[in-house]
Amino acid sequence: MKNVIEVKNLIKEYKNIKAVDGISLEVKKGEILGLLGPNGSGKSTTINCILSLLNFEKGTIQIFGKPMAPNAYDIKREIGVVFQDVAVFEELTVEENIDYFCGLYINDKRLRKQYIEEAIELVSLNEFKKFYPKQLSGGLLRRLNIACGIAHKPKLIFLDEPTVAVDPQSRNNILDGIEKLRENGATIVYTTHYMEEVEILCDRVIILDKGKVIANGTPDELKELANMEEKVNVEVDSITEKQLEEIKKLKNVDEIYYHNQNLTVIYKKGKNNLITLIDYFKKESILYDKIYSERPTLNDVFLELTGKELRD
Amino acid sequence: MLFHNYKYAMKTLFKNKPLIFWTFAFPLILGTLFSMAFSDIEKEEQLKTIPIAIVKETSNQNSMIINIFEHLKTGEEPMFQISYEDEKDAKTLLENKKIDGYLILSEPLKLIVKENGINQTILKFVTEEIIQTEEVMRNVVALEIEDKNMLTENLYQSVYLKLEKWKEENQIELVNISNKNLSYTMIEFYTLIAMTCLYGGILGLYLINQNLANQSANGKRISVSPTLKGKVIITNALAGYTVQLIGIALLFFYTICFLKIDYGENIFFIVLLTLIGCFAGLSLGIMIASVFKTNENTKTGIVIAFTMLCCFLSGMMGITMKYMVDKNIPILNQINPASMITDGFYSLYYYDTLDRYYFNIFSLCIFSILMLALSIRSLRRQTYDSI
Amino acid sequence: MTVFKAYLKILNKNKFLVILYTVILIFFAGFNMQNNDTGTSFMAEKPDVLIVNENETDNVTKNFIQYIEKHTTIKEVQETEEARNDALFYRDVNYIIYIPKDFKNSFLEGKKLNVEIKSTGDYQASLAEMLVNRYFNVANIYRNVIKDEETLLEMINTTLEKEVFIEVTSKLDIEKFAKATLFYNFANYSILAGCVFIICFMVSSFKEQKVKLRIMVSSIEYKKFNRQLLFSNSLFAIVLWLCYVILSIILVGDVMFTNQGMFLILNSFIFTISALTLALLIGNLVHNKEAMSGIVNVIALGSSFLCGAFVPTEFLPDFVLKIAHVLPSYYYIHNNDLIASLETINLETVKPIFLNMGILLFFGFMFVVMTNIITKKRNR
Repeated sequence: MKNVIEVKNLIKEYKNIKAVDGISLEVKKGEILGLLGPNGSGKSTTINCILSLLNFEKGTIQIFGKPMAPNAYDIKREIGVVFQDVAVFEELTVEENIDYFCGLYINDKRLRKQYIEEAIELVSLNEFKKFYPKQLSGGLLRRLNIACGIAHKPKLIFLDEPTVAVDPQSRNNILDGIEKLRENGATIVYTTHYMEEVEILCDRVIILDKGKVIANGTPDELKELANMEEKVNVEVDSITEKQLEEIKKLKNVDEIYYHNQNLTVIYKKGKNNLITLIDYFKKESILYDKIYSERPTLNDVFLELTGKELRD
Repeated sequence: MLFHNYKYAMKTLFKNKPLIFWTFAFPLILGTLFSMAFSDIEKEEQLKTIPIAIVKETSNQNSMIINIFEHLKTGEEPMFQISYEDEKDAKTLLENKKIDGYLILSEPLKLIVKENGINQTILKFVTEEIIQTEEVMRNVVALEIEDKNMLTENLYQSVYLKLEKWKEENQIELVNISNKNLSYTMIEFYTLIAMTCLYGGILGLYLINQNLANQSANGKRISVSPTLKGKVIITNALAGYTVQLIGIALLFFYTICFLKIDYGENIFFIVLLTLIGCFAGLSLGIMIASVFKTNENTKTGIVIAFTMLCCFLSGMMGITMKYMVDKNIPILNQINPASMITDGFYSLYYYDTLDRYYFNIFSLCIFSILMLALSIRSLRRQTYDSI
Repeated sequence: MTVFKAYLKILNKNKFLVILYTVILIFFAGFNMQNNDTGTSFMAEKPDVLIVNENETDNVTKNFIQYIEKHTTIKEVQETEEARNDALFYRDVNYIIYIPKDFKNSFLEGKKLNVEIKSTGDYQASLAEMLVNRYFNVANIYRNVIKDEETLLEMINTTLEKEVFIEVTSKLDIEKFAKATLFYNFANYSILAGCVFIICFMVSSFKEQKVKLRIMVSSIEYKKFNRQLLFSNSLFAIVLWLCYVILSIILVGDVMFTNQGMFLILNSFIFTISALTLALLIGNLVHNKEAMSGIVNVIALGSSFLCGAFVPTEFLPDFVLKIAHVLPSYYYIHNNDLIASLETINLETVKPIFLNMGILLFFGFMFVVMTNIITKKRNR
């Protein structure tokens, strides 16, 4: 199967600042692609260019194998977009909002009714059908925002940070919903700066920074880039400089950080590293509270690649 | 599809309370205030009985003057209410504003008033009339004596009769050719209609704002849907126009039935002017929605401020304003849509010919086209430099 | 000072709205006054008359015109019937006289003669008509006895020149204060619409950001916060009030520095105080900004119309004036009118003025009490 989206050498400038600087990417059918990057890295701009909302200086964009244009209505019909800002009418109820936006795609009234029911079901807003947006909490509003974007069962869905400022319950609900959409055969482009979500959801991740693609691969492939194997965090009551020196010389240890009674030990390779460390603590009679081992996260990858944290 | 859009646009407008307040309720409230404040202005112009005092000087009893004044204080709506006082009392009465003036029957006659005003002027006028009639009689008698050299006892009597006869035979007749409809407070209500037409622009503004990707989040959503942008905009503008017309129909109903406002007789021309006036308001709203790039509240503020300014210039806060502008800076009101609407109604009400009416209709069309021409570039636009 | 700084910040953020409102209202006030000055004042004594003469100026016609000119104010408009009709409708002229062709001969020969006129039908038009009728009556009578044209005209003139000796006791120049009063009456609208709207807007902005601001000003207690907010609002109101006072001085000049002028300024200051308290009440009562602008507009326009800010009180129906008694604007405008007719300043004449000011302050006090009751109830 061909790629659903193909972007080549996209360049978009705002007053001489390159917001998107030569991005190329492909999205395969049925996958969830995560677009990851800090604020201002060009995620939303890229999506807006793909959607033909923004004009751009250079590059080509193809969707479903056809060039995308503002009046490519047959392409647009198959696309669903959930924007970062909640885009609903204050004056319309939950049901009416979904009906209105769905009606822009689907004329058949009966079919639309069925689709609306399904969309409401998907985001679990059944109890709130007759509510007005003002009466909904932030999380519920986000869910409505999503329902408005996907009710017409598009084959390609763009989700632009749909979980910003959302309570955990709503977030889980949203993530479940996205999973379901994929099961129904949709291709999804998902932007966020929460790497946890990407790790759970995405088949493939593209990391953007300053308008450029700096990494592209599956989450596991990317973690290889983090250039580490394991990270152990320990809360210790007291430890001497000498002991820290000794820990650094333990087998496989690459680097250690000690800050506020928090000890972080980073290993490049090897196994049973945790046991070695605990043995050392026992030997030195160092008291510790909590100890846990972590696999590298995408944040570590980002840190490694750019030298800065994702959530700046 | 079209109906779907139209239906929801209408629903959106009717559910938006502030919008409905400004376009529906506010004109009704203002109209009520107008009719309360202006109901007496033109009635007050009819004369009221004037309280005066007459001071008789003992030495000189000018019976003719007293007779005439006595005559003027009778009748169903007497001109004067007269009391006879001595000078001191009259002075106190005047000081306390119990009377508007007093007359001292000395030679020559003296009229004392506190200030200049309508009643004082009338008093002066009547007194002068009496003096001058007396003078005429004296002169005519003198001439008659010279002429016919006769001197009878009832000379004054015969002269008086002669004068009466001449008066009746007076060949000079005043013919009033003024137009019937002269009630200038009507202008206030015409400006009210004009204001409502222009305020209606807020409805269009609101809907269009919701449809432009560079103005609102909803607009982005509509832009990525497979709907023709023109279709969406036209159905929305149509919905705004419909709601506007409902509002103005309500205002007409209220002002005609409850406030008894006269819009002239030709219903067709009234409706035509209203339709075009509303359209001018709509196009103003569309222009402000698409050309300015600020938040919605500021845009609404611009429409309100612009409308108020236009209405002010067309006489809403003082009827003479429109006339002063028309007379001194006519260009200002020729480009002022509120003035075009007001003047259109005025010409229907006051004039028999339609030239001026058509001129206003024509100006309103030009205004609307200009507004739409300014917006078209932004409305047709499908991709943006920035969002 | 934290609150004050935040106040300035919010004000700055909304400067477009504030400037727009203020400029429009000041513009209205100034323009309205200039306009009324040249236009038809309700109290003008001489009727405004327009003469349309289709004759070569002969002596008979000239004499008639001279007579009308002497007793009325002659207006001139463009020489089109439309301009004349407009002038009549908008009361720029009260009476139009069309002197017919061959006026002189028809008159001298005693032929039937129709003189067309247009009239607004009001009191001034009747005055004009009385003048015209008087001239024709006198002229007609003399025409019957005097044949010589010159003697006839002279006779007419001497008779019509007979006037009554008139003495005006009031030393007060009403015209001089009319302008100032007009301005300050209109200020009722400007203060209510401008000052109240912007202050309500600010109060509700602060209410919206209360949580944020509480953190920001956590070092000061809530009462102090309220006090500082009140201070900022008062300062803003006073600045606006000063703008209006300065504008009035620019527009009417040294009249403002007389005793009466000072009274007008003092009166408007007291009204500003009660407007400020009203604004605080509305700001605390209503939180929706859009609803607020509606309410403020209705209050401002309503009390301006009903209390005589736009239409002089003597032209308002009695029932309207009765309703107006419950509005502070009534006392403010009533006071302006009292001040304008203030001849001598002594205890007796000044008493009602101070009484009205007292009522205004009482209104302010009531608004403060109501605000406190409401905020207390809300907090519970």
